[in-house]
Amino acid sequence: MSAATPFGSAGNTPVRAGILDRARTVAPGSYNRFLVPPAALAVHLSIGQAYAFSTFNLPLTKLLGITQSAPGDWSLKAVGWTFSIAILFLGLSAALFGRWAESAGPRKAMCVAACCFGGGFLVSALGIHLHEIDLLYFGYGVLGGCGLGIGYISPVSTLIKWFPDRPGMATGMAIMGFGGGAMIAAPLSIFLMDYFKTPENNGVFESFMTMGVIYFLFMMFGAAIVRVPPADWKPRGWTPSVTPKKLVTTANVHVDVAWKTRQFWLLWGVLCMNVTAGIGVLSQASPMIQEMFAGGVSAAGAASFVGLLSLFNMGGRFVWASVSDYLGRKNTYFIFFVLGIGLYALVPSIGMAGSKPLFVLAFGVILSMYGGGFATIPAYLRDIYGTMHVGAIHGRLLTAWAAAGVLGPVLVSYIRDFQIQNGVPKAQAYSVTMYIMCGLLLIGLLCNVCIRAVSPELHHRETEV
Amino acid sequence: MVRLKLALCWLIVGLPLVWGVAKTMQNAIKLFQ
Repeated sequence: MSAATPFGSAGNTPVRAGILDRARTVAPGSYNRFLVPPAALAVHLSIGQAYAFSTFNLPLTKLLGITQSAPGDWSLKAVGWTFSIAILFLGLSAALFGRWAESAGPRKAMCVAACCFGGGFLVSALGIHLHEIDLLYFGYGVLGGCGLGIGYISPVSTLIKWFPDRPGMATGMAIMGFGGGAMIAAPLSIFLMDYFKTPENNGVFESFMTMGVIYFLFMMFGAAIVRVPPADWKPRGWTPSVTPKKLVTTANVHVDVAWKTRQFWLLWGVLCMNVTAGIGVLSQASPMIQEMFAGGVSAAGAASFVGLLSLFNMGGRFVWASVSDYLGRKNTYFIFFVLGIGLYALVPSIGMAGSKPLFVLAFGVILSMYGGGFATIPAYLRDIYGTMHVGAIHGRLLTAWAAAGVLGPVLVSYIRDFQIQNGVPKAQAYSVTMYIMCGLLLIGLLCNVCIRAVSPELHHRETEV
Repeated sequence: MVRLKLALCWLIVGLPLVWGVAKTMQNAIKLFQ
């Protein structure tokens, strides 16, 4: 934290800091720290829309033909690139701007994220109006992706500083919003497209414009209420534990040092393996349940299954991250990996037994641990590297997500296709995939087991940014 | 005043989330029908 006064300096002349500056967001004494989670949620619920982008996929391929694709309409494959570009830029921007977001403070970072994400929708709307797919890629993919990355990391370190007693619960609450955002965005997108639809227009342009404005305002609401704690602030009645825990440091490690440590790459492996296993299943959930229960699950039922998985994904973010405050991060990830291996190994047998409730429950728990992995990682980083640069370190670690986002879906769909080409029945084509997921989780488990505290020689000498 | 502000802020973010969860649950029933 830079200063507790709303003044900066230009040479010798004191200058009042701008309304977005960190110095102007230092909380007054009467501020209630439980105002920070809604601020973070406002941002994460908005950017979580990304998970529901697929609701626009088909309508975007019928912009000219309206009821069906006409010659000149965009192909599904071309539209599909928009989401991939957005996720790529999420990872890149989180890694590149993490340090800036940390020093600029949460309000400025949230404002930039709101402008990028809301603006991205508006630029995309222009691309839809002019039928220029490059504008869609630039708007939602590049601009929107930067909004996703900056928005994702912007409240994390602030929450950790406000909740030193419950860092897992606090970050879990915010990151839960990213999982929940899709649950709002999917019905909202459908409602808006229905509302604006006319015989000559399928309502996508107007829906993008409306969503751009709604998300911009909602994220700005978060930026308006967020505050950083004063430098010496502690929760009333809370004293840091006197018995030091092996993996929880009270010191700080600079981001430039942190990413070169063995622990950073082990954590990268932990996150990457956990996400790869979950995202692979999430991306193929709909065809998978229909093929494993051939004739027993309709397309609408499969869509409901995907919705249920989103619910587990969201709930897992809050529940597991909160539980990690009591169990410790290393133990929590140990559970993710061991339980995950067991459940993935059981899925082929459950499929063969034809038990739909057990199948849904198994994948529900797997997806809750996928979400839990995302939500627990900021607190794990805080334990290992301290609070000073936790946001910036988190930003760099999110490249593991970008890598897993490519690896997981490719692995699941490639192995499925390979199996089917070799004459394996569709209902059994996922068995090998499940065992490979067990292998990936085993690698993650080993990475987690190898994590040790950072050597005191690498600790930063100052206590604040 | 602080409590009112707190309740209002939670309501603003909570209502859309509850709406989204309710819609998802409503659709989820189809899976077991």
